[in-house]
Amino acid sequence: MAKAVKIILAGEGGQGVQSVAEIIAEAANEEGREALYIPNFGVEQRGGVSVAYLQIGDRPIGSPKFLKADIVIALSDRAVYRTLKYVGPETVFVYDAGIKGVEDVIPKSARKVLAIPALQVANEELNPRVFNVIIMGAVVRATEVVSQDRAKDAIEKKLGYKFEKNPELRDLNFKAIDRGAELVTGLV
Amino acid sequence: MPEKPIKGEKRYFMTGNEVVAYAALAAGADIMYGYPITPQNEIMHYWTRLAPRYGKDFLQTEDELSAGFTTVGGVLAGKKSFTATAGPGNTLMQEPVSMAEAMRLPIVVVIQQRGGPSTATVIYSQQEVTMTTIGGNGEGFRIVYSTATHQELFDYTIKAFNAAWKYRFPTFVLGDGYQAKMRESLTMYDPEEKGIPIVPSEPYVGKPGVPGVDRPPGQYRNTYNVEEELYEVVENLARDFNAIAPEVAEYESLEAGRSDLVVVSHGVISRAVKEAVSELREAGASVGYFRPVTLRPLAEKELRDAANKAKAMLLVESANGQMARLIKDAAYGCKAEMIPLYKPGMGITAEEVAAKIRSILG
Repeated sequence: MAKAVKIILAGEGGQGVQSVAEIIAEAANEEGREALYIPNFGVEQRGGVSVAYLQIGDRPIGSPKFLKADIVIALSDRAVYRTLKYVGPETVFVYDAGIKGVEDVIPKSARKVLAIPALQVANEELNPRVFNVIIMGAVVRATEVVSQDRAKDAIEKKLGYKFEKNPELRDLNFKAIDRGAELVTGLV
Repeated sequence: MPEKPIKGEKRYFMTGNEVVAYAALAAGADIMYGYPITPQNEIMHYWTRLAPRYGKDFLQTEDELSAGFTTVGGVLAGKKSFTATAGPGNTLMQEPVSMAEAMRLPIVVVIQQRGGPSTATVIYSQQEVTMTTIGGNGEGFRIVYSTATHQELFDYTIKAFNAAWKYRFPTFVLGDGYQAKMRESLTMYDPEEKGIPIVPSEPYVGKPGVPGVDRPPGQYRNTYNVEEELYEVVENLARDFNAIAPEVAEYESLEAGRSDLVVVSHGVISRAVKEAVSELREAGASVGYFRPVTLRPLAEKELRDAANKAKAMLLVESANGQMARLIKDAAYGCKAEMIPLYKPGMGITAEEVAAKIRSILG
């Protein structure tokens, strides 16, 4: 059986990387797969880079954290610096195309480097609030740890109570999943 | 009041701290005493959320010394009491736990190890092994379960309550910050539906009748006037502890008696070791593992057997040799060479363990 897929999501506090990791982990668990998710946590109350470690596979997961990831998603300049150590020759490194001034530090050794315009899509096409849902769509498509439909079910489970009051929110979130997936389709 | 918190068997996906709170409920705990410290805070948070729904209680004290002593007080009054702490809180907790040890009281303490020494990190380590197994100014007459998965956190928290009240020795569930904060799946159940009876509690003080006339006297002491008196008490504690050790001690092993190299680890690190060992075994390497589930008492006979048959033992832990000290002491005189892989306060991955195994086996 294949080894667990190792995913690092990193961003600024408020970008929602922990929610994305948790929802994907729960979606995988719902599918009966083995999932393990752990956030970084320290003594800082605010201001740190938020890192989520996520592993999904079909056998019991080993150690909660890992040295090299299969995919790293960095959503801010500080997150790029912070996650460099998780990038190895097999890693797909994804970062938001809107991050400036990191061209020189983007790891050359990675299997693949992708700059995706997630922030731009959120701001111009959808809504800044679904930025992390776009990221979730991209992660799910790039790793195939769960299906796109399952990802939508997980969102529904999490936010269903809000969708009941405002069905447009459902469309917005589901569109964000699809658009996120499109951003990496055929590229990984 | 709703009856039972868990009915039937159900798969959950949650953090380890949440698991502990549910397990304490399932084990029939009446009250938690506690003082906040990362990474165990959410045990308190979830307990305080769940407790009122099931007629349970919670008391936040002014520090861990007080949390430990109030837990002892609750136990004396006949309540299934427990506390949870970490790091410097565990240090303070040693004083009340020593008192429980002296009085033969069934206190349950859940430890989520963080980095040390001192405040260090709030994240993770296996550096509270020495303190938890043989801390305090006594002889370490304690039962310590070191868990590796959320399933074990649930199973062994329930078991810890039963072991404590059955044997009346302080009992620890030794987790860590990773287990506390990570989310993974587990199956929760009602222990009694699964044929695991809950050992009842009883008050140790304030019973009706005249002590020595209507009932035997309690004799819950931690102070003695003369050496001989104390000596007799400690000898009795030692005898009782040694007598229960074989039935309390638990371990897990894979080909430990038939491999050149046996990897020894405990707790969350054993997950990485299992992965590394199975992978290398598939490739034909002569390697097995031995994982003590109880760090106190140790499964000495089985450990010595493995240490006599293997050429070498690789001791892997997120501390600078704290588990190793227990292993080397138990395996004194055995023929296996003891090789360290220590990363104090850091996680260890299967890849790192596999690389070390390859370098040893050549």
